[in-house]
Amino acid sequence: MALLDRSDWYDIARDTNWTPGYVPREEIFPPQLSDPYGIPVEQWETFDEPYKVSYREYVKIQREKDSSAYSVKAALSRSKFHDDLDEGWASVLKLHYGAVALTEYQACQFQARMVRFGPSPSMRNMATYGMLDELRHAQLQLFFPHELVSRDRQYDWAHEAAHTKNWAVLGGRHAIDDIMMCRDAVTGTIMVSFAFETGLTNLQMVGLSTDAANMGDFTFANMITSIQSDEARHAQLGSPAIEIMINNGKKKEAQQAVDVAFWRMWRLFAITVGIPMDYYIPLDQRHLSFKEFMHEWIIRQYDRQVRDLGLETPWYWDLLADDIENHHHCQQGGIWSWRPTVWWNPPGAVGPREREWLEEKYPGWNDSYGTYWDVITDNLLHGREEKTHPECIPIICNMCQIPISNRPGEAWKARALQLEHEGRRYNFCTEPCRWIFTTDPDRYKHHLTIVDRMYSGEIDPPTLDNVLTYMGIGVVSEGGRDGHDYSWVDGFRTQAAE
Amino acid sequence: MTDAPDLKPLKTWSHLAGQRRRPSEYEIVSTNLLWSTDDELPWSLSPDMDMNQWYLKYRDGSPLKHVDWDAFRDPDGLVYRTYNILQDGQEAYVDGLLDEHNASGHDAELSAGWLDSLALLYTPARYMLHAVQMSSAYLVQMAPASTIVNCAMLQAADQLRWVSRTAYRTKELSLTAPDKGFGDKERALWENDPAWQGFRELMERALVAYDWGEQFVALNLVAKPAIDEAFVRQLGQAAHRAGDGLLRQLLDAQQADSVRARNWSAALVALALQTDGNKQVLADWVAKWAPLGDAASDAFCAALPDAGDAAAQAKDEAEAFRAGLGLGR
Ligand SMILES: [Fe+2]
Ligand SMILES: [Fe+2]
Ligand SMILES: [Zn+2]
Repeated sequence: MALLDRSDWYDIARDTNWTPGYVPREEIFPPQLSDPYGIPVEQWETFDEPYKVSYREYVKIQREKDSSAYSVKAALSRSKFHDDLDEGWASVLKLHYGAVALTEYQACQFQARMVRFGPSPSMRNMATYGMLDELRHAQLQLFFPHELVSRDRQYDWAHEAAHTKNWAVLGGRHAIDDIMMCRDAVTGTIMVSFAFETGLTNLQMVGLSTDAANMGDFTFANMITSIQSDEARHAQLGSPAIEIMINNGKKKEAQQAVDVAFWRMWRLFAITVGIPMDYYIPLDQRHLSFKEFMHEWIIRQYDRQVRDLGLETPWYWDLLADDIENHHHCQQGGIWSWRPTVWWNPPGAVGPREREWLEEKYPGWNDSYGTYWDVITDNLLHGREEKTHPECIPIICNMCQIPISNRPGEAWKARALQLEHEGRRYNFCTEPCRWIFTTDPDRYKHHLTIVDRMYSGEIDPPTLDNVLTYMGIGVVSEGGRDGHDYSWVDGFRTQAAE
Repeated sequence: MTDAPDLKPLKTWSHLAGQRRRPSEYEIVSTNLLWSTDDELPWSLSPDMDMNQWYLKYRDGSPLKHVDWDAFRDPDGLVYRTYNILQDGQEAYVDGLLDEHNASGHDAELSAGWLDSLALLYTPARYMLHAVQMSSAYLVQMAPASTIVNCAMLQAADQLRWVSRTAYRTKELSLTAPDKGFGDKERALWENDPAWQGFRELMERALVAYDWGEQFVALNLVAKPAIDEAFVRQLGQAAHRAGDGLLRQLLDAQQADSVRARNWSAALVALALQTDGNKQVLADWVAKWAPLGDAASDAFCAALPDAGDAAAQAKDEAEAFRAGLGLGR
């Protein structure tokens, strides 16, 4: 006999609940931080994580993973990969790191909430590994862009973005603060471990890592795949929690938490993943359209997971299908037009070949989004670059903080979803964003969008320069420009010449 | 723009560009990572929402003040990558200990009396260590700088390490001595036996010390030092006297993690003491919590076989640690 198997002692290590005697249990586990649903603690003690790991295994496996992830980096610093990198792909990296690095770090504190306030000992132990995983993700995704900061200041946003009030950051922070940082341990795990990590971060792995490999960016592809292998483990905290909720008559509450979180994160992921897949990645390196990808990986798989757990398909599923056709196309147009406000260089990337591809993947694209780009293309062909910058201030959704924008062209539906609450008028991009507000108006009612801040005196006076400075542009780095210096219109010149 | 900053190329993150040294990997991936400390309102939801109120009260409203908590640095400079390298090595060593002692029939040689002591004083410790894991995780949520958060994070992980190894030994001992209640009686002993009531009271009360600074004092300056001295050191010496070489060596390995905890605790106290008024705040908390630590050491050490002056030693050593930080009573 030598060493015991993990299964021999594992249950003892997760038998750590006791009955407090010096302090009431509700003080050690306040409902607003732990379980606001009043589910008996014996029920939480049935929590059984599908994936098990010991500390001993964890440090060994993770050490090995890190040695492979970081060794690629050593090779990278000798390679010329970034010397003549396509700016479309560079934009993917800049957007990704700026959006993700410090969010991963915040996830450490989110996991720590489960370690401290999770009502189940299993949850507390598993979240301890989850917390370490998130530290890994933050540190990897700071280390790699730091390698690039001497080439291009826009990579400084990997560290700085979350400390600025850039409009894109305000949207990310609002969602992350809402579903991840300001929830009790139980609701948090349903929202983040299940809806966000199980439901949506697959997008990043399968979507971006395949594209990264196609781009020859093996560092990034490896890193994302490696991160996702951690995610696949700690995301499994969510489903046992949902099962316990359902078994204890809290299906409605679990359903709402899942649906709120999924929609919130979807609105952001369509930007950080959808736009890169359909626009920033050079045509020849694209492997799937965002829509194909969403239907394969999200519409089918996530829905099945939700129903397998005993929940229902989210009520807004049809609206999601519609949003998949539109949201990221709208935002590509908006972000490109407002390119000086972002920290990456978004390519318009709608030359003749790209448009053909978009029309094939999204039938009707030419008659809708195409009309928007027709005007821009025409202006660029005639040397009126200044006309490609918008003049009107957009209306911002009071939930997702993203400019409200609708499909242009024949089927134009001018939708402004509004809500009056305590004398203030709120605007929403979609029904689910408005619905989320109504689930808890007190939680959301005070927040000011970037545009509200121009009128509230927070940005005073709201000149363009002041607004840009407020957003960190010209402070952290220069703002964006067209990533391909408008070379994508050249194809139309050739066409015209022919 | 009239006052456009100089956007010349960077050699490192802009926030580290002012320092003269080239930043280390530790600094690049560990510093200034919290966004909730940037503005007056921690989270971008309503100010009166309970989580904003919680952070405003227990973190930003703490009597422990510093203008720049982000100046804190872990003296061990650990990052995730190096932590795993370190602990994989340490765990390989522990695997070796367990394997070796198992092969040599170590447990069969233990006396019945010592097995009773292990059942009473060793295996119930997983509850205590888990409470330290939870308490450390509270600091992860509440500390006002990422460099402090990270130290608390690795400290929480270290506790899970010893919860796991204690569970391992609990199982192994139950195989050798099925009649001693290993794996069975620990919760009842933790909840009722006089030997544990001091530590239980200390940890239950520490868990609800919600001010982040007070949590740090209760946990890192009182509870952990008491555990290090009474449980790790004095129980280790008792193990040595009883011929239990395995437990002695396991506890020595556990001590190595505690050394890191003391290193960062000392560094944090040193940083805090730069601010006028903090010395009194810390001293008041020490005065409040140290008696609970002493009582825990007294109760635990009284149950050690041939204890001698174990309790006095444990209390003196914990006090000496605090005195070394300028916080002696
Ligand atoms: Fe992560
Ligand atoms: Fe995660
Ligand atoms: Zn919205």
